[in-house]
Amino acid sequence: MLKMAVRCAVLVAAVSTGPVVAAADPGNWTPPGPIKLIIGFPAGGGVDTQARLIAQAMEDRYGWTVLPQQVPGNGGNNAALAVAKEPADGTALAIIVTETLGYNAIVAENPKLALENFTPLATTARFQMGLVARAGGEFDSWGKVKAASKAGKPIRLGVATPRIADVTYHLGLESGVDFNIVNFKGGAGVMNGINAGDLDLGWVAGVQSKYVKSGEMVNVLSGIPTPLVDSPDAPTLGKVGSKFYIDGYFVFVGPAGMDKKARAALAEAIAAIAMDPETKAGAMLARAFGGASAIRGDALEQYLAKDRSAAKKLLQAVSR
Amino acid sequence: MGVFDYVLAGILAVFQGPLLFEGLGFGIPAAPLMLFFGFFVGIAVGATPGLAGPMAMAISLPILISIFGVRPEALLPVFGFLIGVMKGATIGGAVPAILFNISGTPDAMMTALDGYPLARKGQARRALRIAHVSSASGDTLSDIVLFVCAPFLAVLVERFLDLPEKTALIILSLAFVAAIMGDSVGKGLISVALGLLAAFVASGEDFYPRLTFGLDALSGGFPLTAVVLGVLIVGEIFASIEHMWWNGPEPPAKVEDTSKRGGLRPGDVRRIAPYAFRSAVLGTTIGALPGVGSTLAATLGYAFGHQRYKMRKAPGDPQFGDGAPEGIAATEAANSAVSGANLIPVLSLGIPGNAAAVFIVLAADSIGGFNPGPSVFKFTSPEVNPELVVAFGIFTLMALGNLLNWTAGWYVMRAMGIMSRVNRHVLMPIVLLVTLTAIYVQETNLGALWIIVGFGVLGYVFRKVGIAVLPFVIAYILAGALERAARQAFSASGADPFFLFSSPVSIVLIVAAVAVVTLLSREAKLSVGHRHASTVDQR
Repeated sequence: MLKMAVRCAVLVAAVSTGPVVAAADPGNWTPPGPIKLIIGFPAGGGVDTQARLIAQAMEDRYGWTVLPQQVPGNGGNNAALAVAKEPADGTALAIIVTETLGYNAIVAENPKLALENFTPLATTARFQMGLVARAGGEFDSWGKVKAASKAGKPIRLGVATPRIADVTYHLGLESGVDFNIVNFKGGAGVMNGINAGDLDLGWVAGVQSKYVKSGEMVNVLSGIPTPLVDSPDAPTLGKVGSKFYIDGYFVFVGPAGMDKKARAALAEAIAAIAMDPETKAGAMLARAFGGASAIRGDALEQYLAKDRSAAKKLLQAVSR
Repeated sequence: MGVFDYVLAGILAVFQGPLLFEGLGFGIPAAPLMLFFGFFVGIAVGATPGLAGPMAMAISLPILISIFGVRPEALLPVFGFLIGVMKGATIGGAVPAILFNISGTPDAMMTALDGYPLARKGQARRALRIAHVSSASGDTLSDIVLFVCAPFLAVLVERFLDLPEKTALIILSLAFVAAIMGDSVGKGLISVALGLLAAFVASGEDFYPRLTFGLDALSGGFPLTAVVLGVLIVGEIFASIEHMWWNGPEPPAKVEDTSKRGGLRPGDVRRIAPYAFRSAVLGTTIGALPGVGSTLAATLGYAFGHQRYKMRKAPGDPQFGDGAPEGIAATEAANSAVSGANLIPVLSLGIPGNAAAVFIVLAADSIGGFNPGPSVFKFTSPEVNPELVVAFGIFTLMALGNLLNWTAGWYVMRAMGIMSRVNRHVLMPIVLLVTLTAIYVQETNLGALWIIVGFGVLGYVFRKVGIAVLPFVIAYILAGALERAARQAFSASGADPFFLFSSPVSIVLIVAAVAVVTLLSREAKLSVGHRHASTVDQR
């Protein structure tokens, strides 16, 4: 009843404020039914939180009904496979990471995960992937890491996905630093590992921000081609010998052949909510991931194709 | 934020959390109210033969989640209800034992030994009151130990245990659970092994699901709630139905004395205090060990009480088993003390030790935002650690529950005598229907119903062949943590296959695990009893 009242209020507001809302209204499109939002990662994590905030904002802004549903597992592959089976009328979308359709799809060797089986909608934020260590410790700069390795000290480095493990392995080969690469569950798991003293270093994409700002942790390296927002002085992976980066985005996708109007409306809605720092979702993205970054349309399709070919090269490089 | 600020934040989180409704200009916070509802329900199910706390927790969890959603704000109201049920069921169990000599659970059987004779002497009220006071004092002691020990233990674990030791600790817990529950260590190990096997379906670190035989339906693994409810609840219902099929419905309970005479007599408190205190200490110690339930606490509490009583009893006093108030106190204080202490391994190590703790973990897992384990107790500053606030919220709810136990507990307990007359053949179909509906509501998928029925059949088979079900459930819950810890320890040690023997602590833990399995004598286990295999009545 309350929801209905809110929806009526949104409708009234939409009618009464006319042109202002029309600018933000994604193409006057109305979904033919409730929208199922498949979340590819576990409840409580960064992906889940932003997905639910964006779903809430979609309901509030546009009056759509969005039903979030968790389909976690296999690096987003389960969610991707689930959304591919849904109707392409805009009533089903999934939030995954670009890595899901790149590296993960290649390793899974599942033809159903081919790029053409999906309609990319929009990204929300770029990974602020940093190699994190405790401030003031033995590993809080790349120089110290190299020195420790030279001295024969085993270095435990936490990763959250196999792709990150491969990039790290490649980095070890190129830089001559020997890492014991340990898999943890999600960036939060890696952070916990560093906090508990189980890890010396770990790749984290955003969760470290508050610790870096408070001076407890440092970003030793930037995993993306550009400097990190929080630690502009941390060298990028390329500068220390790696040919690959741990770049990526959180991305919304739908099933292949999605209705054009629906695709445009959904992409517009996601981008508008993510880029608006006044929304809870926008504020969360700014806090945790250094700001929103919404790529759509052709640019997004090109990015995904490029990401897939980089993943192929990475797999070749580490299996040599 | 200091320790005091976190405690305060936890208390405020309970009272200023989401509102259930607003009335007369006041907002009613959900968590304390849900605690009260849970407590009321808990006493009712505790007082109903054939039902028990874990069953009520199992059925209510999916319903609670569909009411409050899977947002972090839902955590405390849901925990509030579950804690209320846990506490209420503990004191409720004494009601049918004392009034009607019906012992739905083995611990209640101990209570009935002295409670029922006392009731027959026309002192039903006094017997109930003694059970209530002892139960509430056992609960208080155990809560205090929980508040002090859980953070301390967690910090200790984080500081001193590395990845191989964490792996060894989980192996030790599973060995303990396998050895202590059920008829034999072998059957316990089978139960644990099958639990691990079920959990390994479609999990792991690869991008393709393992052990699924290529079936799409299995690619997400078995839903946790469906497995746990299937084995624990549906299996029990199947076993009950079979029992009723052969033996016919049970006759209505014969009502014994319900006179209003009685109540505590002068000197009663002084008389029972030493028994209640000793049993409370015993129950708390036992409760802190994973896998050992309230039944052993009740049995040992009664046995120790009996020994002391033999030496100190005055000439005119009744024998134990003949209506001695000390007997009721010794049993009730021990089994109630288990409930709080049972949360120590959950909150500090993430290891659930009994059925009630299983549902706390299940709730945390379903809602997200709170991962019971050592990482909870990190006093970060200036950044707030939200999990720690939730942990102190849980402590606040436990303390409030204890307060309810002392105050409202007595009145609700007295009123719930009527529940003892509800018959199983009426109850079981209702429980089955509610369980299946609740699973469907949570999973919104008919496949989940097949899975729950499948695991129900497994639970039934377990009961038929005398295999304890709780080791299966605990192994299912711990499997992920075990595999992760082992993989991590293996990688962190630079792929050393003997990582479990890399440090003195982990060697000690592994040796202890082997020793527990091999040395635990059959006699000792029989006192814990085979009824674990047949029931979830571990209150």
